[in-house]
Amino acid sequence: MGSSSSNMNHIPNAQELMQETGFSAAHLLRLYERFEFLDRDGKGELSPDDFEAVRELALNPIGGRIIEAFFPQGQETVDFASFVRVLAHFRPNDPNRKDGAQQDQANSRTRKLKFAFQLYDQDRDGKISRNELLQVLRAMLGIQVTEEQLQSIAERAIQEADLDRDGAISFDEFKKSLEKVNIDHKMSVRFLK
Amino acid sequence: MPSGAGSHNPAGIGRSLPERGLLLLMVLVFLEGSVLPLGAASSPDIRHQENVDNHKAADPGHNFTKKAFPVLDLDYKHIQTPFEISLWVLLASLMKLGFHLIPRLSSIVPESCLLITVGLLVGGLIKLAGEQVPPVLDSRLFFLCLLPPIILDAGYFLPIRPFMENLGTILMFAVVGTLWNAFFIGGLLYAVCQIQPANPNPLHAMELLPCLLFGSIISAVDPVAVLAVFEEIHINELLHILVFGESLLNDAVTVVLYHLFEEFAGAGTVTVMDGVLGVISFLVVALGGVLVGAIYGILSAFTSRFTSHTRVIEPLFVFVYSYMAYLSAEMFHLSGIMALIACGAVMRPYVEANISHKSHTTIKYFLKMWSSVSETLIFIFLGVATVDGPHAWNWTFVTVTVILCLVARVIGVVGLTYVINQFRIVKLTTKDQFIIAYGGLRGAIAFSLGFLLDKNHFPMREMFLTAIITVVFFTVFVQGMTIKPLVELLAVKKKQEAKRSINEEIHTQFLDHLLTGIEDICGHYGHHHWKDKLNRFNKKYVKKCLIAGERSKEPQLIAFYHKMEMKQAIELVESGGGVKLPSAVPSTVSMQNIQPKKPPPAKPAERALPQLPKGREEEIRKILRSNLQRTRQRLRSYNRHTLVADPYEDGFGDLLLKKQRMIELEKKIKDMSNYLTVPAAPPDSPTMCRARLASDPQAYSMKQGSDGVPTIHVDLASPQSPDSVNLMDEFRQASQQQEKDEDQGLMMKPPSRPTGRRKPGETDADKDQQKLMRCLSDPGPSAEEDEDEDEPFLP
Repeated sequence: MGSSSSNMNHIPNAQELMQETGFSAAHLLRLYERFEFLDRDGKGELSPDDFEAVRELALNPIGGRIIEAFFPQGQETVDFASFVRVLAHFRPNDPNRKDGAQQDQANSRTRKLKFAFQLYDQDRDGKISRNELLQVLRAMLGIQVTEEQLQSIAERAIQEADLDRDGAISFDEFKKSLEKVNIDHKMSVRFLK
Repeated sequence: MPSGAGSHNPAGIGRSLPERGLLLLMVLVFLEGSVLPLGAASSPDIRHQENVDNHKAADPGHNFTKKAFPVLDLDYKHIQTPFEISLWVLLASLMKLGFHLIPRLSSIVPESCLLITVGLLVGGLIKLAGEQVPPVLDSRLFFLCLLPPIILDAGYFLPIRPFMENLGTILMFAVVGTLWNAFFIGGLLYAVCQIQPANPNPLHAMELLPCLLFGSIISAVDPVAVLAVFEEIHINELLHILVFGESLLNDAVTVVLYHLFEEFAGAGTVTVMDGVLGVISFLVVALGGVLVGAIYGILSAFTSRFTSHTRVIEPLFVFVYSYMAYLSAEMFHLSGIMALIACGAVMRPYVEANISHKSHTTIKYFLKMWSSVSETLIFIFLGVATVDGPHAWNWTFVTVTVILCLVARVIGVVGLTYVINQFRIVKLTTKDQFIIAYGGLRGAIAFSLGFLLDKNHFPMREMFLTAIITVVFFTVFVQGMTIKPLVELLAVKKKQEAKRSINEEIHTQFLDHLLTGIEDICGHYGHHHWKDKLNRFNKKYVKKCLIAGERSKEPQLIAFYHKMEMKQAIELVESGGGVKLPSAVPSTVSMQNIQPKKPPPAKPAERALPQLPKGREEEIRKILRSNLQRTRQRLRSYNRHTLVADPYEDGFGDLLLKKQRMIELEKKIKDMSNYLTVPAAPPDSPTMCRARLASDPQAYSMKQGSDGVPTIHVDLASPQSPDSVNLMDEFRQASQQQEKDEDQGLMMKPPSRPTGRRKPGETDADKDQQKLMRCLSDPGPSAEEDEDEDEPFLP
């Protein structure tokens, strides 16, 4: 543990980060190592190119969106703190931990869903319009499907979820349509415990 | 039918009493009737008597003259075995019927208990009649005939996703849990047996190995019993899959332990070498079983690729391949159950993509039927065998066994959960643990394994059997009956209604991708990463080999969507039965080929569909048409354009108007087609198909759309039309104009195909049109020739 504690000093604001995100020291360290690995030019920050270097991400249909999610509006680079904050969404929800209000925790169900919602909602208007849904479907289903089928599915999805009939899915409607899915399980990476 | 819960209702009782009486009468008759044939020895005498009588009556000196031709003869021997089998099956099925006529009983007592009771009764009756109780629970019969259908049913319909997600947990319970149970029970029993009170005890003769063998037999959770009980309590998916998965996978452990101890019980000692061999044997048995099953599964999937011309025997392939997988595994002493599960699970996605809808239904119902009958028979036979079997009751042994089983199970579950929870994301709560422990039911497999024991090696065989039966009875009766109230009491989460929405499907896939991406970013090769890799491999190579035709490229989401639409469409039609259309003509025309031959829901105003706007009915009808005939063509008949318009329609009246117009138009076309030179076309002919197509108002509106409405364009990415109100007006005007134009067009030649479908930029519209024709008309190829004479009505 000796070397790791000295490494911990490299991480800026380690204690605050741990407090905010709920990661343990070991996890934070692992993430920091990963961060350094991705940051090939050693700038201390990551740019979109660094993310794109991850091979499998290129194969991922929504890889681009995921990368974008790390960069909040307008920013060109992301530092370690932001990197960790994003990944904190995927920490498994620990039902036994009672520190602080559950709702505010970075990895609470609502926050996880909000993160996923923002991946759909590219223009950040708080709703998933049909267009945005279509883009996602197109990305996921690729060239194997005809436009009409995509339209049909998007239409059907909006019809099912859209309770206030405004033609788009708001965050609450999104949450509601996923109420049967165990989000804590689905949106947690075991590694981050 | 008696009213469900209202047995207090005098009318209900009145109605059910004669039924009940009749049934009881039938039951008694059958029981009596079964007593005679099921007894072994008496029947030949009857026949012999008859023959002798015949001879005597016909000709006194039968040696010389020819016998009189027997007009009526009784030859029971000839048909004895099949007759008895059928009688048993009939008895089982009647019992099942009977239980449901008595509503109160079946809600308190699980069916398995009732069936065992019936078995006891039948066995008792047979014994009372002085006949020999037939050895019905013959181990060969059980393992080769009764068990496979149940396991195949379970394996084929195994919910793969929760199973795989919890595989680690399940394996832990199955392997480690069973081992712990076996050694704990066996060891402690041996210890108890060695307790030497003052009076000598036959138990002292018991050695360690037979005890361990007994422990391994009794420790395995039984899939049949678990299925039977858990089916009725509708518990949540996680718990169900944990207990059920455990009961399936512990077969490998049981097989290995059983053979191991059986082998060495004769030898007397077990060395470390044997232990190591045992472990290796376990791996071979388990993995070998899965491999054999997977191979047969792939063979079956491959075969189903070519069955498009012989749809009738498709279900046969599924059954035969699976059964052969089971038998092959049993041949090598591998785990037959795991082979069967692997076979069913591997072949299912590919087979389902290849076979017809009807075959799918057939497979489903045959499997359910067989497994249901098997299960019923197993429980009845358990009852009969209890009455029959030689028993050696030993109070100490039996009670200690029962107690130890419970204790071992509880300790095992609690201990294992503590370890497992370190690795699980969703932890198992105390309630979950309790249900898992309580759900560890033993059943007929344990009994059959005990039955298989050789009397020479195991002098204590009868005692074992008695103890096994007692444990089985205890678990099935006591635990089976009380688990339902306990589940209610503990407020355990129940199974949620499995109606998966398209939203869930989309978002779940989206989240899968998201999580895979995050895992890649973290550099962590976790669950999602491997699942993604497997999916990619599957899509790239496996699907191409095993799925016929175009379906191999169909993404899962689309398949799901089709299934959902079809289901909903069928529901729509079935629930709309009985409402007559104002003009019956279009209904018969358009619904000719659809299985539920009922008129489609006529007046949208009368039906309050919660989720579907009325304009969708036509679309759904088209889906039915195309899907139910040739389900494998990609559909081009969805009317995207009106879908775009749909959500902006707030006028109910507009929909009504459209619908009426559609009906009128269809009628007109039907009339028009009479003027054509072609004599009254059968509904399947291309002409009528086109008539049907052309009659869609949405088809018309599509044409119009290319002119006037801004939203209906190739650039489908921007459907947000601010002028939704204008849209409606346009529609109305357009359609009215349409009618006039169309009349002329129709007079001149067969109605042209809707050109709206030909969007600029879609070069393969023609091909799709042909495909559509193929969809709609069974005589496929002829449709294509007619395409050439068609010209677009509107350029």
